Amino acid sequence: MPTSLPKLRISSWITKGDVVLLGFAIAILSGVFMTFWHNDGHGAEVVVYVEGKRWARLDLFQNQELHVHGALGSSHIRVLNGQVRFIDSPCPNKLCVHTGWLSQGGENATCLPNRVSVQILQSDPRFDSINF
Amino acid sequence: MALTRTIKTTRDDHLVAALAALAITIHIAESALPSPLPGIKPGLANVVTLLVLCRYGWRMAVWVTLLRVLVGSILIGTFLSPTFFLSASGAIASILVLGMLYAFSYKKSPGGPQLRSSWAIGPLGLGLAAAMAHMSGQFWVAYTLFVPHPGILTLFPVLLALASVLGIVSGLLTRTVLTRLNSDPVNH
Repeated sequence: MPTSLPKLRISSWITKGDVVLLGFAIAILSGVFMTFWHNDGHGAEVVVYVEGKRWARLDLFQNQELHVHGALGSSHIRVLNGQVRFIDSPCPNKLCVHTGWLSQGGENATCLPNRVSVQILQSDPRFDSINF
Repeated sequence: MALTRTIKTTRDDHLVAALAALAITIHIAESALPSPLPGIKPGLANVVTLLVLCRYGWRMAVWVTLLRVLVGSILIGTFLSPTFFLSASGAIASILVLGMLYAFSYKKSPGGPQLRSSWAIGPLGLGLAAAMAHMSGQFWVAYTLFVPHPGILTLFPVLLALASVLGIVSGLLTRTVLTRLNSDPVNH
């Protein structure tokens, strides 16, 4: 057996240096949370289009009910706590209603027969359009 | 005429091999554990890295860590797969950060690394910094190479926070093992 293996004695479970480092870590973590989570909510907006034209631009956090008159009749749209959806529509297949709640930037729901659509705005749109 | 050549191995080589084997074993055992979130692991294998760092210095810790990532991935079967690159980038990032903190906190002595001052970073801080660096390095590679979608960035704060907690735990574990090793009669 070799004479003596190296030893490191650390008297307490946390050193002064650790406390400083912990402070740094908390600062970094809060910075990271603020950078990546700050626009999760406030400032988000939704745009409603009728007949291809911008009809309204609404704050996603201002709860409201809309009745939008399109080609067939009145589409019922609900804005609730940062989400938006079609509640009812005069169209035959109700694809817009089945799209459900939208909350992420760029998401949209469209009612082609009634020519009404909603899209959530995002600060930095990655795509001009998405085809399915 | 001897066609074989013997490679002279040093005591450090044997230590690296033994410690890397230990780290690889833990690494593989850990990979079998189910994880609630992809990218989150207890990081127990990193305890070996921290232990080696505190007892034998940074050079040895680099060897043990890189060998663990390489051999571990070959044994699990993820070598050169995305998992391997994520794991390797995390390991490299954490070993670099550990190198800086080590240079600041420890000095060489015949009996192994010693604390430079009372402001030195102990195992808790080392574990925390290593885990945060690991997660950041891994995430940076995941984002730039594999999934360059802004959506995954929202995961980063959560993963970093979880990694920090697990890093502190692994640091405390390291200290426990260090204390046990120091009081082990075989090592006296």
